[in-house]
This record gives sequence, C-alpha cells and structure tokens, in this order.
Amino acid sequence: MYVAVKGGERAINNAHRLLAEKRRGDRDVAEIETSQIEQQLSLSVTRVMAEGSLYDRDLAALAIKQGRGDLIEAIFLMRAYRTTLPRFAFSKPVKTAEMDIARRISATFKDLPGGQILGPTFDYTHRLLDFTLMANGEEPATAHTADHPVDETMPRVLDDLLNYEGLIQDEPNPTNDDAPVADLTREAVKFPADRDLRLQNLARGDEGFVLALGYSTQRGYANSHAFVGEIRYGSVAVEIEPEELGFAIDIGDIELTECETVNKFKGSKTKLPQFTRGYGLVFGQNERKAISMALVDRAMRAREMGEQVMGPAQDEEFVMEHSDNVQATGFVEHIKLPHYVDFQGELELVRRMRAEVLERLAKADAADAENARSQPEAAE
Amino acid sequence: MEQTVNNPLEASSAYNFAYLDEQTKRMIRRALLKAVAIPGYQVPFAGREMPMPYGWGTGGVQVTAAVIGPDDTLKVIDQGADDTTNAVSIRQFFAKTANVATTEKTAEASIIQTRHRIPEKELREDQILVYQVPIPEPLRFLEPRETETRKMHALEEYGLMHVKLYEDISRHGHIATTYAYPVMVDDRYVMDPSPTPKFDNPKMDMMAALQLFGAGREKRIYALPPYTKVKSLDFEDHPFEVQSWKDECGMCGATDSYLDEVILDDKGNRMFVCSDTDYCSERQDAGHRGPQHHDQPLGTSHSNGKAAE
Amino acid sequence: MIPQPRAPELLRGFENAAFESNAVFRTILDAMAHPGRIYDLPLDVPAPTGLNKSATAFLLAMADMDTTIWLSPDCASNAANAHLKFHCGSPITGTSSAADFAVARLDGDLAFITDLALGNAEYPDQSATLILQVEDISDKADMILRGPGIKESQNLSVPGLPAAFHTWRAENHHLFPCGVDVIFAADRKIAALPRTTRIEVR
Repeated sequence: MYVAVKGGERAINNAHRLLAEKRRGDRDVAEIETSQIEQQLSLSVTRVMAEGSLYDRDLAALAIKQGRGDLIEAIFLMRAYRTTLPRFAFSKPVKTAEMDIARRISATFKDLPGGQILGPTFDYTHRLLDFTLMANGEEPATAHTADHPVDETMPRVLDDLLNYEGLIQDEPNPTNDDAPVADLTREAVKFPADRDLRLQNLARGDEGFVLALGYSTQRGYANSHAFVGEIRYGSVAVEIEPEELGFAIDIGDIELTECETVNKFKGSKTKLPQFTRGYGLVFGQNERKAISMALVDRAMRAREMGEQVMGPAQDEEFVMEHSDNVQATGFVEHIKLPHYVDFQGELELVRRMRAEVLERLAKADAADAENARSQPEAAE
Repeated sequence: MEQTVNNPLEASSAYNFAYLDEQTKRMIRRALLKAVAIPGYQVPFAGREMPMPYGWGTGGVQVTAAVIGPDDTLKVIDQGADDTTNAVSIRQFFAKTANVATTEKTAEASIIQTRHRIPEKELREDQILVYQVPIPEPLRFLEPRETETRKMHALEEYGLMHVKLYEDISRHGHIATTYAYPVMVDDRYVMDPSPTPKFDNPKMDMMAALQLFGAGREKRIYALPPYTKVKSLDFEDHPFEVQSWKDECGMCGATDSYLDEVILDDKGNRMFVCSDTDYCSERQDAGHRGPQHHDQPLGTSHSNGKAAE
Repeated sequence: MIPQPRAPELLRGFENAAFESNAVFRTILDAMAHPGRIYDLPLDVPAPTGLNKSATAFLLAMADMDTTIWLSPDCASNAANAHLKFHCGSPITGTSSAADFAVARLDGDLAFITDLALGNAEYPDQSATLILQVEDISDKADMILRGPGIKESQNLSVPGLPAAFHTWRAENHHLFPCGVDVIFAADRKIAALPRTTRIEVR
C-alpha cells in the first residue's frame, strides 16, 4: 500500500529545533556571547560586514553566532536584513587620504614620507599554534606606543608621490561629490558595466572567489604584473549632507582597508608609457581581499586599456555574475531540492531512447540473419 | 515617499505587508507591467535579497509579494505538490508576512505560485500563475554571455536554438529536451517556460490566467498575458509531442495527468502517481480509484500499474 | 507612520499605502493583461487640479523617486506638481522624451507623443507609459482590438480620440517590441492599450 509522504510542516519545524540545539552544542560549555565574537573574532566580523554590505559589528557578530560560524550563512543573514532597511541618505565619498592610520605599507619604495607603519599584522608571525591561547591562561602582551604619532596627513603613494612625475595614470576626482554612483542593490546590472559598478561588485564579492581570480592574474590569465603601491588600514569618518541642513555632518567612523596597485602599461599610439592602477577597498582589516580586489579591478580594465582579454579575471560578465557567494551558494545548493518531475521526464526519455536503440539493433540482427540465409555463398 | 505599514494582524511584525517595502514592490510592479506589455521578453529588475536562499524561489516570492493583496487566496506548489517542504515553507512565509488565506485547492486560489509544474485543472481568468525560474534565458546554455543573448533576442536571431534542437534529432532521433522546453511567444520571443516538464507546455498556450515568471538570482521578470499564443519549438518532420505513460495513476487512475514514478522496493517494483496532488485527491474524492489505492480489494494491486478494471 | 501633508492645501495621498497601492496596481495589471477591457478605479482618492482620480491613483501607486514624470502643460498645475513631489517623491521633468510616465489630456495638444521614449531593441522596457486623461471610455465598437490578452476581440471606444493618435499608434505598433503603452484614464475608469494590441478603427 502506498501512502504519499505528508507532514512537511512538522518536519520543517522540528528540523529548525534540531538546528538550534546543534548550534548551542554541549550545554556544559558556556554559551558564546555576541560581544565575544565581535571583539575576539573581529576578522570574521569584518568579512561578514564587507560581503553582507552592512557595517554593523553587533549584527555581524549575531549573524555569525546564528550561522554557527558559517560565514556565508552569516553574510546571507546580513544581506536579508539589510534589504529591509529604508535608505535615509547617501554618504559623501569617504576620504581615505584623511584616514586615521593603523597600518600603512608600500612595496614600491623602501622608505617614503610618512614611513612604513606595520600595525597589527600576521605577516611576520611564525605560524606555530600558540597553545597558551587554548589553555586560556595568559593575558596577551600589550603593544608599545610609538614615540611619535603617525603623520596626520599621510601622503598617498600613488597620488602624492608617483603622480608627481606624471608616471601614473591620473585618476581625477569627480568634479561633483553628488554625481550618481551605480548601486547594484537598487538597479539591475547591465553590461558592459562601468568601473563603479564593478568595484561595488568586487567589494561585496566572495573573498575566496576574488582571491582565486586575483591569483590567476599573477599566473598568466591576464597580462598585468602588479606592485602594491600602498596598503592603508585605519578608520575614516562617514559624512552625510541632509538636504535641509546644507552642510555635511559626521555620523560615525568605519574601518577600511584600501589597496592601490601599480601596473605597467607600455603605452599606445596616443599615450606615453606609464603606470596604471588597480583599486581595492574593503570594510575592516582585510588585506587579502583588498589586494585581490585591486588585481581583479585592474584586470577588468582590459577593455578600457585596449588589452586583449585572455583570462577569466578580465571578463567582467564572468567575474560579476559569479562573485556573489549568496547567489552562488543558493543556486549550487538548490539542486538538492526536489526535481523529481523533471527527472521523470528524463527517465522516460532515456528509457525510450534505449528501447529504440535495442529495437534497431534487433532489427539489424534479424536482417543480417535473413541475408545470411538467402546468400549462403556470400557467408562463406 | 516611504510608507511602512505594520501587518495589522500581527503587531509584533516589523516588516511591511508581504515583507517587501513599498518602494521595492513598486519597482517590481513596474517591471511586471512592462513584462505583460512585451510578452516573453525578460525585463531586468533590481531583485532583492530575500530571507530564503537564491534558487529556492526568490524570484517567484518577490513577484507574489508585489502582486498579493489582503483578499487573495494563495496556493503554493513544488513539483505539483502542496506538501513538499519548500512549498510549505513559502506558503508559511506569506501566511506570516501577509496574513493571507492559503489553500491547497487549485480552484480556490487566486494566486498560485509554482515550481516545476502547471496544475492539471484548467486555470481561469481570475487566477494568476507565478512561476519560480532558475535560468530565465532560454539561450543561456548555447551562449553564456548576457550581452550576446540580449542581441540575439533583439535581432530575433534564434537559428542557434533550432540548430541545437535539430542536432538532438539527428543524434538521438528525438529532441532530447524534456523540461524547460523552449517556446515561441506570440511569434516574437523565444522564452524559457521554467523547468516545467514539456508535458505542461500546451497548457501555456492561450491560457485564460495571467502567467508571471520571476527569476530572483538572475533578476529577470517576464510574463504571458492571458490568451497569448505560446508554441513549443519544433520542426515539420518532428512535431512537438508531450510525454505519455503506459501506466495510470496508482491512486486515482488518471491517465491524463503527469505521473511521478515511485520506487516501491529494491526489486524493480514501482508505481506511478499524479504529480499534481490536488488533482489526484479531487479525483479520489469523486470516487476514482487506481490499482494501488488502499481501499482497492487486496490482490488487485500490482506494480506495473495495469488498470484494475 | 503615514506622513501627513505639511502644507494645509496639500491633498492626502493613499490612506494605507500597502493596501491601496496594491488594489490600484492589481486593477492596472488586470487592465494591461486584458487590453481594452474597462475597469473601475477600486478606490476614491482626491485629485489635484490638472489630474483626474484615475491618473492620480495610477501615479500614487506606480511612481516614486526612481521614475520621472512629465505633465502636459494643461495637467501641470502647481497643485499637481506639489502633490506628486510630496506623495511620490518623483522628479518632474519638462522634457517629454525623459519621462517614464507622461500624463496628458486627450483634448490637449498631443504633438509630444512622438517624442516619448520607445525603448530600444535590446531593452524595449526602457520606454514611457502614457497616461491619457479622457472624458469617458466605453465598450462601443469604435475600435476592435486584437492581440495578446484578448481571447477573440475586444471593443473599445474613447470619444474624442483624434486621427493623429491612431496614426502614431499604428507606427508605434509597427516598432514592436519597442513602443509606448497607453493607459486611458477616465475619472473613475481605466482601460489599457499595451504596445502589442492591434487596433481596427471603425
């Protein structure tokens, strides 16, 4: 006797309860507080803010907790929340030149005005597991404060130093701060896409995807060897200019990592040889993402530079259509949903095609046998 | 001007009626009107992130959210069934965020959101069918670039599609497409009917109900107005044909509906049941019986599903 | 919170944005899906000078800061401008070719219609919608409509529709998939004429 499966609703509700239980884990272990996540897993927090396109450390920490540490799940939670928020205002462009610097390095000059500021970095740590962290015993050493404060108007390597000689492609500031900027969360993306849209796409793009693409440009799947002109990390003020006030007000600070790469350009009939740029900007401290983004940004400028498109990182449709991990994970995972209606169609077709082939073969065999009987001499 | 209205019947809800904010609904509604005015053309829209994953019907959900009003009655099906988990989840979403009446009966619904099937029962003028669409571009598997496919639609350049279908015929003796079978809309646009089995294609032609298609991840909306000519692509020497079964529905005995195969054991025994659960239960309520129905006399049930007359 | 007009002379918009927008949209959707079929405006809404109730309701339901409105000189009263700016937040343009929604009166100068955006072959949706305010609409057989949305044929009569309109419309139809969709807006009734519809003028 066949009884169709019912009770989807009950099953779903119970699956959710089970999920909550799994999230909590062993109840003898103290529950993690979102403030602990916010403080101690801060790089997870900033990744979730960056790819979730929402700068809110507390919500990101909550999303990480709720998503059981699955960062793409957390990013998805942030995005779904973000989309319900009304938009009150657009900020003025943030001034990264006026960043309150926590770290600033350049790979193109040994020493330079403003200096190399290492700041908090994993770069020169030896990757040895530190078992004292597990033992939960030791207070970390506190860092020394420098004798001199960081240069308040830290010069930008590309704009203030390289551009002095006209060696680098000029990137003029828009004459109007209020010029419209593309926003893929408000308008459907159309191709070819301008650089503002491409950069927005990369800034919220999956870190692993952008990293892999950036890596591919270094291995020959694009022709653009890059130097890191400058990486700076620190906080900048966000300003809005309410229409009724007529002047900008500071609504808070955000942490950003900015990367500008310098890439060679051999020149063309109309342009002298000079350096060109790639640009990366990401919430929080995330140099891996900022550098990768700058590499891919530069690669995607192939059309503008008249370069041959030879690798996926240069192909804006390919990059932009596949960089979003919320989209990607949804579509990849959706094939676990029921597809039995379509599969039934395929079953029917494959069975029919097999039957037809077998029938044809049987007919051919019969015809061969008939031929063999009627022409016995030929068979010999 | 943003105007947020809390669901009056659920004061705790901080979301707008039917979840989406009014501005987003207006944006989708404008796209819907264009879609109706240009049947089969894919209108780009700024799809929003929904609180369910892309690929789970976010396009259909956004279309439904933009269309649904407090007096609507919603039916949600996945694979033809109201009780598949994702259908249940989407129905709960609208019951919660829009507080609308829901039903499993095709005839009682004013809006039917579907994944992969068109109900067997003929739809009426006062009903709207909303399809969830994964890949709206019928030419996508022939040409992955949007810039190219858009040109092909603009120029009505559909030769590639015909070549692909004809290659199937020369290789397999059949057009080897069983679902998402492309259709020509009003002699102008080639359209993807969503991954419904080709069995359902003829139902789209001159359907009395308005058909709306939402692709959330790909951010496209398209539509078929009522009474629009929808023709499955084919060739004179290989006319379009739908799937047929030697079997009948094991539960209701239907021979005219799309059947799902149910595997009964590991010995190759199987039976067939209607994929449209409402159609099947309505027939059973009317006294129709298939060979495997539980109130059939013992011994008449057999797995190859021959009629138990 | 529903924002209330700040200036006393400003008329109210929808009382309940979610439900009333939906009701008006559904009527428009039905109208577009059934070209030429006449639908009653599902609710009452105050109309500023220059606009009738249907045109006002249409714009309240469909327009916002992302859509540009053009009002013909005989519709563009201060009251209409203020009403649309306040309730819809829409930019109002003086250039008809820049309009997403163009609003005009049937008895006014219709020379602008040839300037309305038609979209292009790749994006035919980037076209204008014309809301034409009319005295009356009926199902007298002055026009016989055929095409998607119509089972066999549909009668429609819009008294006062000039020959120039039909000439423009015939050319417009020829440009499919590009083209302008038209909403005939009588005070309390609407009918739609999407670009797909073929018109036989009696």
